[in-house]
Amino acid sequence: MKYINNPDRMQIEIIKRTYLVSSLPIAYSLISGEFETLLGFVFGLVISTLILRLRVINIERSLDMEEEKAETFIRNRYFIEYAIYLVVLVVARTNPSLNFLAAAVGLFMMKFTVIMWVIFDMAKGGLKNKLQEYKDLKEDKSEKGGN
Amino acid sequence: MVEFAPEVIDTIIRASALLGAGFAMIAGIGPGIGQGYAAGKAVESVARDPEARGNIITTMLLGQAVAESTGIYSLVIAIVLIFTI
Repeated sequence: MKYINNPDRMQIEIIKRTYLVSSLPIAYSLISGEFETLLGFVFGLVISTLILRLRVINIERSLDMEEEKAETFIRNRYFIEYAIYLVVLVVARTNPSLNFLAAAVGLFMMKFTVIMWVIFDMAKGGLKNKLQEYKDLKEDKSEKGGN
Repeated sequence: MVEFAPEVIDTIIRASALLGAGFAMIAGIGPGIGQGYAAGKAVESVARDPEARGNIITTMLLGQAVAESTGIYSLVIAIVLIFTI
């Protein structure tokens, strides 16, 4: 992860990647004409984006507090976010023009993206290390052969 | 063998579903406690090394985003149980 030292750039990157990944299900639901699915998915996605921004603000505020106060603050804010999720899911379930499962998947999309990003980064790092080991081994062998 | 009227069976099923929804909501408490604990430790880390603030915020953001998933899973299950039956 390139922008681990820059939280502002990192959240833009997370949002960008999430919307990039989400463009596939959005395009599929548009092509297949399932507008309830599309609306539910976009609803969940927009709410998860806004909650990410809210979480960044909360974390930045909590770092200026004392340890115990920060703990209580973040715990309380989590329950507020949880209540927002509850409202979103209940609205998606009761409103016939929104698909409930699509809204739930939209809410999860950001988490899937983060997990996949980390897995890809780990795989990329592992592959690079293996390649480097292979190159080193090859160089050693050629040096020994030359001598 | 005891036989129940269909209304009684319906009531038992509905009560069980609501009870299950209540139990599922217990899973929502765990991430809250965990996130609070992580926030406390993050404050401690920033106090120790203020230059690592950006790194700590990003790591905490990613950690919290993923930790919250289990809470939302339980919420989805609870809502399905409440509204479907």
